[in-house]
Amino acid sequence: MIMRAGQQLLLPANPLFIWGSLIAALMVNVLLSYLFGRAAWPPDVLALALVFWAIHQPLRVGVGTAFFFGLAMDVHQGALLGQHALAYTALSFFAITVSRRLLWYSIPSQALQIFPLLAGAHLVQFAVRLIAGHGFPGWSFVLAPVMEALLWPMVTFILLAPQMRAPDPDANRPL
Amino acid sequence: MPLGTLDRAPPPFFKQGQSAFSKLMLFSALALFLMVADVRFKLTGPIRVAVATVLYPIQWAVMRPIEMMRGGGVYFSSLQQAQAAELDAKKRLATQAQRAAQVEQLNLENDRLRKLLTLRERTSTPGQAAEVMYDAADPFTRRVMVDKGQMQGIKPGSPVIDEGGVLGQVTRVYPLSSEVTLLIDREHAIPVLNTRTGARSVVYGDPSVHGGTLELRFMAGNADVQQGDILSTSGVDGVYPPGIPVARVEKVERRADSAFARISCQPLANTLGAKHVLLLDPYSVQIPLPAPVESSQNAPKKGAKR
Repeated sequence: MIMRAGQQLLLPANPLFIWGSLIAALMVNVLLSYLFGRAAWPPDVLALALVFWAIHQPLRVGVGTAFFFGLAMDVHQGALLGQHALAYTALSFFAITVSRRLLWYSIPSQALQIFPLLAGAHLVQFAVRLIAGHGFPGWSFVLAPVMEALLWPMVTFILLAPQMRAPDPDANRPL
Repeated sequence: MPLGTLDRAPPPFFKQGQSAFSKLMLFSALALFLMVADVRFKLTGPIRVAVATVLYPIQWAVMRPIEMMRGGGVYFSSLQQAQAAELDAKKRLATQAQRAAQVEQLNLENDRLRKLLTLRERTSTPGQAAEVMYDAADPFTRRVMVDKGQMQGIKPGSPVIDEGGVLGQVTRVYPLSSEVTLLIDREHAIPVLNTRTGARSVVYGDPSVHGGTLELRFMAGNADVQQGDILSTSGVDGVYPPGIPVARVEKVERRADSAFARISCQPLANTLGAKHVLLLDPYSVQIPLPAPVESSQNAPKKGAKR
């Protein structure tokens, strides 16, 4: 792998942390749905975590993982079975496609480039529900991808934190 | 630099597995198949139940702390509320006492009259109390989840009522919870009876974006419907027991350009904030099956007497 100039060398990612973070993201989604009910605007944190890992670890987290987490979201929401699965599948495919290029950019620029992907995922769900003959959820659903893109720096910071630790911890750098 | 600093394992050179694109094709096809199976053929029940069972511990783990926090907040202010609620309940009881006292007598009278007219006796419906856990997060539909499921003997299709009237219908049953589609969902329809005129019709959920109302469709422009009419279940559907209030007519628009009146109704149940609900058995379960075919020979005689 070609090293990017001026960026820190990362520790290897812990598979347990990857899976734990995906399940935690699912829990955050569940939490948001309890707090805000059927509102359409809360960001889809699970989609964001899947995109993050598909970009940073494309060999570990891919299309299949996204599909099964999508099924879990479908059942939790009581939505059409396969709606989130389809959206997440497409999302992670495009995330893998851009993964080689994206990490060369600064984080705000990454967020800007991620935005069309996230918006596309919401659009896929919207289109699927329209075809299935369900109602319009209200315009607030266009807010969700915007909030997800704004959350990208925070997600990057949190999920990359274990890999940013010092390789040789000592008294001055315990972590 | 110590060992283990970098991701040292090189990516596999020859055995790379399926390409991302072929996986995309496979899983999208699978998702599309699932969606068609879900919408058109209703085949996905077992998959849903399996995933829901795996998901339940996660949901439980998230929901418990929220409930405890909400419970803790309410705990301190709840004494006053409880007293106020008791006072309110007593007042309501007093106003209902007179009618309640008459019910016994009316029931007896009703029984006798029904026997006199040889009508079928009305069944009383067994029910189970349940608590609404949360709104289903799907923004495209109007559904809530309640905390009774297959293990408690809930059947799909059961009517759900609260203290005001009909709230909706159970549409999916999971092992420990079930999903109730509210009256105001745009795909929900319920047969009703206008209690003032006795005219039967069907009430639909309002399809507009923020609609919390119902619509009485296909009533002729000159139909006898007035503002304030109470609509109750008619019982012709074999699902809802007859006589449960459903909605009050809010607005009647009679327009010259349409053969039908535009009638919007307000649901009597607390569709947006119901907490405690009653799940009834579907009405048709209680209706005895029609008499076997052997008796068809003497059926015409009876018919002739009438």
